[in-house]
Parts: sequence; C-alpha cells; structure tokens
Amino acid sequence: MRRTVLFLIIGVIYLILIAAGLGMVYTAGEPVPAKEREIAKPDNKISIAHAEIFGKLERPQVIFDHKKHEEAAKSEGCGTCHPVNDKKKLLFSFPKDVKGKDKEAVMRAYHDACIGCHKQKRIEHKKSGPLVCGDCHQDKYTLVKPISYPVVEFDFERHDKHVKKLKETLGKDTCRQCHHTYSFEEKKLVYKEKTEESCYYCHDLDKKRGPEVAAIIKVSAEKGLSMQNASHQECLNCHLEIRKKKGEKEAGPTECMKCHTGKYKTTAELEKIPRPDRGQKEKSYIYVENAKLKGVSFNHQTHQKYSKTCMACHHETLKACKECHSLTGKPEGKNVNIAKAYHDMFSEHSCAGCHSKQTAKKECAGCHHNIVAMDLETMSPRKDTCALCHTGKEPLPMPAPLSTSGLKQDKIKEVTVKVLEKEYEPAKFPHLDIVNKLAKISNDSRLATYFHRNIQTLCEGCHHRSPVTTEAEKNTPPYCRNCHMIVYDKEDLNAIRLLTAYHNQCMGCHDEMKIKKGNSMVFVEGGRCAVCHKKKKAGPAELTTVKNQRVYNQNKKIILNRWRPD
Amino acid sequence: MDRRDFLKIMGSGFASIAGADLLIPKRPLASTPGTEFYGILVDTTRCIGCRRCELGCAEVNGLPLPDISESTNQTVLKTPRKTTDRQYTIINKYETSEGPIYVPKRCMHCNQPGCVAACPVKAMRKREQGHVTWDVNCIGCRLCMISCPFDIPKHEYSKAFPRIQKCNLCWDRFNQGQLPGCVEVCPTQALMFGTRRQILEEGKRRIAANPGKYVDHIYGEYEVGGTSHLYLSAVPFEQIGFRNDLGTVPYPEYSTGFLYAVPFIFVLWPIAMLGMNRGTKKENGEEKEEHHGEETDKGKH
Repeated sequence: MRRTVLFLIIGVIYLILIAAGLGMVYTAGEPVPAKEREIAKPDNKISIAHAEIFGKLERPQVIFDHKKHEEAAKSEGCGTCHPVNDKKKLLFSFPKDVKGKDKEAVMRAYHDACIGCHKQKRIEHKKSGPLVCGDCHQDKYTLVKPISYPVVEFDFERHDKHVKKLKETLGKDTCRQCHHTYSFEEKKLVYKEKTEESCYYCHDLDKKRGPEVAAIIKVSAEKGLSMQNASHQECLNCHLEIRKKKGEKEAGPTECMKCHTGKYKTTAELEKIPRPDRGQKEKSYIYVENAKLKGVSFNHQTHQKYSKTCMACHHETLKACKECHSLTGKPEGKNVNIAKAYHDMFSEHSCAGCHSKQTAKKECAGCHHNIVAMDLETMSPRKDTCALCHTGKEPLPMPAPLSTSGLKQDKIKEVTVKVLEKEYEPAKFPHLDIVNKLAKISNDSRLATYFHRNIQTLCEGCHHRSPVTTEAEKNTPPYCRNCHMIVYDKEDLNAIRLLTAYHNQCMGCHDEMKIKKGNSMVFVEGGRCAVCHKKKKAGPAELTTVKNQRVYNQNKKIILNRWRPD
Repeated sequence: MDRRDFLKIMGSGFASIAGADLLIPKRPLASTPGTEFYGILVDTTRCIGCRRCELGCAEVNGLPLPDISESTNQTVLKTPRKTTDRQYTIINKYETSEGPIYVPKRCMHCNQPGCVAACPVKAMRKREQGHVTWDVNCIGCRLCMISCPFDIPKHEYSKAFPRIQKCNLCWDRFNQGQLPGCVEVCPTQALMFGTRRQILEEGKRRIAANPGKYVDHIYGEYEVGGTSHLYLSAVPFEQIGFRNDLGTVPYPEYSTGFLYAVPFIFVLWPIAMLGMNRGTKKENGEEKEEHHGEETDKGKH
C-alpha cells in the first residue's frame, strides 16, 4: 500500500513536470531579433574587420582613427606604416609585410605592426595607443556596421580642375601624369598620346569586359590594383608629393572625407564644364558599308553635354562603336551587330535607348507613354522617324520653334465635350492652352525640337492612331468619337468605349506628367470629377435601365418592408 | 459449406458490389458543349476608386444607393471593408509601394465553388455559364459563409427570414443580353466582361505588352481550382488584400473523396461482412454444441 502511494506521488510529479515542460515549449516566443545595427559616420575612421578573411568575428571589429595616427606619425611620414613599391610610391595597404593570406598570418601581422609600434612609443615615453585586447577591440563596436565610404565621382569638373592646374605648373605633358595603358610586349605601363581613357575600363575588377580589355584587367587583378587601390595610389601619392613641396594649401586633399564627400553633381550642373579634349571630332558621319539606309550625321560635341561620363555611351572603350560592332556581329562586340548597337530600345548605351529614356521624363511621358516606338504587331518602325536621323552627310536643319499661330485658333480654343452628358455637366477643355504648353515644353528641349518638326506632330499625342500625313493636310485631327463607340461593342468587349477613352486619355496624361489637378490618384478639394465636370444638381440619373429583376424585386421589398431599420 | 451455398454467397456478393455502384453519385457532366464560363477581368491599375461600380450594382439590384461623393469616399476608403448583405461589391484602398491602389472586392465565381458544395438545399448553384447564383429557397444556414475562402456571402442579420446575399454576376441581365451592372458603368474599363477564355487571354496579353507594369500573375487563374474573376495587379497580391495561401485544389475536392466513400462503406461492407459471417458457419452444428456445453457446466455447480 505504501509502495503504491509512493509510486503514485512520483508519477504525478513526473506528469506535472512533463506538462509544464510542454507548456514552456509551445508558448516560447519568437527569438528576439538582435538590436538594430548602428551606422557610424565615416569621419576619417577605418573599420578593420576583413570579413572576407575572418568570416564571423570572434572579437568586435576595430575602428581605427587614421587621422590621429597621421598626426602622430607626421614627422616620420607615411612610410612608417605603409609599404613602398619599387618606384618609391606608397601603397596604401596595411600591414607592411603579411606572410600569407590565412587568418593567423593576417592577425599576427596586424598585431605585430600595431602593438609593436605602441610598445615602442611607450618605451620612448611618448604618447601611445592601447596594448590590451579590449582597448582596440572595443565592445561598443559589436553592433556597429563596418564603416564604408561613399564612392568618389571624379566628374568632369574635377578633371577640368586638374587639367588647368597641371597646365599651369607643368605646361606640357599633362595627360601623361595620370593616364597610361598596359603594354603586353614591354610588360609595363606606357603612355600613348590621344588614347587617354577612364580608369574604370581597366581597374574595375568586377565588370566583365571584352577579350582585349579583359586581358588587361587580369593583370590589374594580379597586381591587386582594384579601383580603390589604383586610385589611392595615383591620387594620394601625387597629392602628398605636392604637399611636401608646396605645402598643404596648394596640394589636393589627403584626408578621406575631403574626397569621399558623398555629394555628386548632376548632369545639368556639369553642362557648362568643358569636356576632356582628346582630339575628338565635333561632328562625325556614321555610316556602314552596304547599309540599306543613308548614314547618320552625329553631332558629338552637343551630345557630350548630355551625360556625366563618357562611359555612358563608350561603355567598353573610347573607340568608335563600329570598331567592335560590325554588320553581322564580332566577338569583340559580344556578337551584337551594329544595327542593334545603335537601335536597342532598352539599352543605356544605344542612341535609340537613350532617346527613349528621355521620352520617359515626366514632361514628355504624357504623350509618349502611349506612343510605341515600333509597332509590335508588324514589328516594323515608322519610315518617317528613320528619315529624321538617316539624312546622309548633313543633318536636317533645326526646325523653327513650334507655335500654334498657323492653326485655326477659333476652332481649337476651347472644346466642350457634351456627347456623353448625363449625370455631369459638359466638360470644358482648354484645348489651345494645352497645345501651347506642350509646344513650349517641346521648344525647351533640343531633342524634342529636332524630332517634333511641326505642330501636327504634337496633335498626334492625343489624336493617336490617325495617319499623320492626311491629318496634317486637312489640319483637322479626328474627334475621339469618330473611332470610339459610345456603347460597349458586344463583339469586342475589350474595345475602349468613348467614356473610357476620355477618362483614360485625359487622366492618363495628367498622371504621367505628375500634374496634381486632374490626376486620377490625388484627391483634391471638391472631388477629382469636379476638376473637369461638375455634378448636376438633380439627383443621380439612372445609370442602367435593365434590372436583375428577381433580385431587384426581392431587395426592393426588403428595403420597403423592413421590420427593423438597418 | 456445400456447392449451393457457395454459389449463393458469391452471387449475392457480386450483386451487392454491382448494386453499390448505383449508390455512388455520378460526377456531373461537363458543361453542355457550346457553353463557356463567363467572368470579369479586373485590372487594378485602371481602377481610380470612384466607386461607381458600387452605385451601378445597387441600382440594378434594387439595393440602397451608396453615397459615393469624393468627400465621403475619403473616409469610407480609409480602412478595408467587407462585402455586406446590402453591398455585393465594394472598393478597398490599399497604400502600396506604387501609391494607392483601389481593388474591387466581390464574389469570385469560382469554377468549383465551395459554397455550392456546402449548400444543403441547393440554393447556391453554379450555372452552366459560370455564374454562381443564389435562389429564394435559401434557408439562411450560413454554411456557404464558412466554406467561402474569400469571405463573400453575407447573411441578412437584420431580417426575420434571413437569406444569404452576394453578387450573382447579374444573371438576369445576362439572360437578356446585357453586361453586368458594374461593368457597364465603370468609367475606366477596369472591369472587362467576357468568356473566361477571352479574359484570360486578354490578361496575359496585357502583361506581355506592358513589361514591368504588372506582376506576372493573374490572380484567379489557378487559385482554388480557378475562378471566373481574374485580377491583374502592379504589386504583389498580398499587398492588396489577396490571400496567397489558398492552393490550387478546389474546395469541394477536399471532401469528395470522403463523401463518395460513405455509401460504399455503409452499404457494401455490411453486406459483404454479413455474407462472410454466414458463409463461414457450419450447418446447425457449432452453435448448439457450445450452448449445450455451458448448460452442462452450470448444472454441475
């Protein structure tokens, strides 16, 4: 009896423990997410974390104050910490000698260099840095994201500044100071006049390039000359030299934050800056042997202003397009043939691609979002558009600015849409004002002026799918109701009926041009509908006449004979 | 067992199997050749949230007309709503990465509706032309409300003799050759009515002709076995209030396996087992002997 009782008690205790355990397992909450990682301001400091070597860190990263160390080692120079290459140029890597690429070697190198120097300074009774692990690997840096500096954009303004400065001081041979290319025969850097290019072509190790440039990139990679290392080497060495010779005022920046500002210039701001002069022609005649259409007269000088870098168009090298892109495609040009290279609608480097990107701007998108560059059904471009570029040796003359003075003003001053009048007042449409505004937008842009050769082209933005030539002759584009039926087309339920045509065309344009009034998504005081047409005072007219009879009768009964109001 | 009994048993066994076949309800035939399901393609990029579809629907169905002035819309559209017993279709506004998106919500007219399978009095019916309609014999049991994955049928709680109310794709108007009320009044043709094949084709054409404008998925193409209301969207569907966990199995299919097995089990198996029981007994012998044995035992005590 006593034994049974004992067993019973133990059993009950076990059951309670099991129940409690299960309860804890099934009610355990989500794992608490780690606290937000803060981002430290760069502030001329450097993160030593080397995630690519160490992976997950055992101790927190070290945030290294470079400026403090620069000041401390001012008398001794940068060479105390940084290695020097055979040309007596500083290489901005650290530590000086690393015996291998594995974790142990790198850690040892850092510790030997840093702690070694600190120990030395302490012996010399000078101001020194930390010696204990925790003073460099501070705990407060665990939750801090490794510091990264914004990319430096060496835009045309900076380049121009350098060109001017160097011309002042050196007079000649200015390009040679920075520009070079790699010669495989001599196995070293050489300079060839009139072949200066951007550093990114050979030193951007991440980009895949054609066979010629890829070979040079391989050499850069072998020497560890990524964009970061190459630019620091080139720029800082020169600046430091000048600083030594002429003092800090004359020299360029040597502090991280002075170049890595994070502030970038826009294309508009760089428009007036003269572009680097490499002997490029102002105008060039682009033609292909045995091509079907006439050649294109291309004004290179004006086009230079439209992008921030030459690489926008010269994406692989600074040579002409047809050197890599032939009629049938060459391996150098990734087998992209010359027609595609110039006409690809979605590429950033082709003529047609850049132009179509311009039509996506909000000033142009009102009309252009509906205009297909190529008819997708027949897959053929419009001949009159081709003729605007393919003009032969001379381009078409720039047309006069567009104006509505030649049109029948009284007919198009104000248009009243009352064909669908039912619930709303007729809509009054300031037709002439809108055309004038569009003409002004077109006249402000060189691209638009060249392509919109006459005012009738603008009509096509809204009076779409009508033959331009006949309308231009008659000077009367069609009305919307000439093509769009008032009622639904039972045979083609997807056909746009007149009500939809007005709403989608008008509101669509306002949406694309980001105009607040008349926008389909922006609520305005008084309601969006009232912007174009006010609601009539009398109650809602019947929208539809045929009813769902059975349901209608039933619901009417319900509403009329409710035993309890809603 | 002698030969006669063996033949009797086998014969009755086969007969019962054949008979049970009659008990299994036949699957309904596919729709009569020549009829197709009709549906609506809802293009949420065209909807401007004017709510005229709600007004049109109320008008053709004799429901109280909602107030759709823009000032009312601003308050009404603040939070997503559900359909009600007086509003068969409603517009909901969702703030997404592409700005505000307005989404019409109404019965999806599924290809194999869960509500039709759940209705005990066959008030919910899937017509041959695809419309899921409800009838006056509805008893208000609300089983369809439980079975709808989109939470559409609504009960008339305020009535003494309540029925379920929901969109019926304007069945009566359709039979008179008219478009549904909502489709007819939409000013931007965000709703396109047509056969399911036509609207599916049009949905795919719109996605292909406008790269990047739509998410490459037509909601309702395969969800719960396919619905007749198809939706196009510029943002992932979860952001505009659609469930993405519904799977592609039509809801009735979840229970058909079990249901079709019921007559089989309750009729055939008892017959079979009874047959086996009788068939494995001896003539008169065993039973009586046992009984006899017990009595003798008792007698001894």
